[in-house]
Amino acid sequence: MDIQPSRQSDDTDLRRAYVHLAEAQKLSQTGSYTWDFDRGELLWSDELCRIFEFDPATNITTDLVEQYVHPADLTAWRATVEGAAAGANVDLPYRIVTASGVLKYLHAVGTRIEHASERPVIIGAVQDVTERKVAEEALNKARADLAHVARVATLSALTASIAHEVNQPLTSLVTNASTCVRMLAADPPNLDLAQITAQRTIRDANRASEVISRLRAMFVRKEPVAEAVDLNEAAAEVLALSASELRSARIDVHVDFAQGLPNIRGDRIQLQQVILNLVLNARDAMLAIEGRPRTLWIATARGEWGQVLLSVRDAGSGIAPENLDRLFETFYTTKSDGMGIGLSISQSIIQAHEGRLWAAANADGPGAIFSFSIPCDVAGSTETVSKDA
Amino acid sequence: MMKRKLVAVVDDDEFVREALPDLLRSFGLEAQPFSSAAEFLASESLDRTGCLVLDVTMPGMNGPELQLELATRHCAIPIVFITGDADDGQGPRLLARGAAAYLKKPFSEAAIIAAISGALDSGKDVLCN
Repeated sequence: MDIQPSRQSDDTDLRRAYVHLAEAQKLSQTGSYTWDFDRGELLWSDELCRIFEFDPATNITTDLVEQYVHPADLTAWRATVEGAAAGANVDLPYRIVTASGVLKYLHAVGTRIEHASERPVIIGAVQDVTERKVAEEALNKARADLAHVARVATLSALTASIAHEVNQPLTSLVTNASTCVRMLAADPPNLDLAQITAQRTIRDANRASEVISRLRAMFVRKEPVAEAVDLNEAAAEVLALSASELRSARIDVHVDFAQGLPNIRGDRIQLQQVILNLVLNARDAMLAIEGRPRTLWIATARGEWGQVLLSVRDAGSGIAPENLDRLFETFYTTKSDGMGIGLSISQSIIQAHEGRLWAAANADGPGAIFSFSIPCDVAGSTETVSKDA
Repeated sequence: MMKRKLVAVVDDDEFVREALPDLLRSFGLEAQPFSSAAEFLASESLDRTGCLVLDVTMPGMNGPELQLELATRHCAIPIVFITGDADDGQGPRLLARGAAAYLKKPFSEAAIIAAISGALDSGKDVLCN
């Protein structure tokens, strides 16, 4: 038994520990680094060099590393590096494109160590999480495909039931009109039956239109709950609910809520459905955007006549002028997976609140802006106060 | 024996029952509406019916079930099916089972008259057993 280990066994232990560490780094695809930012020295483990496809003999600097950071993540990366130099911890998911053109998803962590050497240094690790990311994206795609299938199934069930409901009155309408024409053409004409069948065609046409009204009522409750709604608060809740959806689509949200907005009177849940619909539409419009920021602006304001306005602006590809008029038609969609129901229902909801929903192209830059205005109801807010009292 | 010439209209939609017999009568046909398969089967018109205009989807016994029931009774009444379900996909099966025609609602005057005329001409003078 070695009570006093010899220098030789010290070296062996150290070598063994080093081999263990290198093996562990390789297996976990995690490299480590030590960054002496005062001296601008970066020490990288072999595994980290392998991840970045650097020769281990390379003189590594932040300027060199920066060249391989994905352009879309560069701002966040630089901010993290600056923050770390000022003493903040490192915790950054980002992407790199290696010299051979491979896209890798990395996750860097690091912490400042004050007393390991004469100057504070940052010691940290970078894990290559590409495989997990790819699996996550495959899972997300599978989920999206499933949702698409579900939507298509809903749509086909919906069209079948609409067709059935509308075909019934149309059948008697066409039959009555045919009989009417025959009665008029008879010799002598049978004016009594002609009149009866003509009246029936009017009734049948009204029945067909009632079917459509019933269908709308299925989507929009006929009598919305009337309560005082703080639109800023309602919109903030929607943003909180959709935060992870927006983050995973790498969308920056800019909020500009007007202070001191009067309450509006309406159905909070329905209005939130409209806001959510506009927010998700804006997200969808920007999914294919590369090379410029995916920014979503949401703003509230007080209108000229005391009404309250909310608008959602995206930096997507915008709306072709010829499509502007059709946007709010039921079943009109420009999306491969859309049902074309969202905006039509949104419009029904806003109209039920005596408001207006409209779309326009962005004045300064690409994208579209969807806005609605609702008259604010002072009586409504007073009523709520008295109800609470 | 006279050819049976009554056209029975079996449809749960009261407006079709109101409109279609009037149109058929304007063509000199004898027409009678029934609101369900059961009402038709229980009626005394069964033996006089030369053509059955039959809705596919009905509460209770539906159109295809009435077709099978009539076949079981060896009652060879030619059937013109009418359906409001655009894609119910039953057409080929019902025609293979001997239906005279299969029309989607709304149908034109020309289509329904041609289908009924064809059905009446093909009818056999055999009473139901």
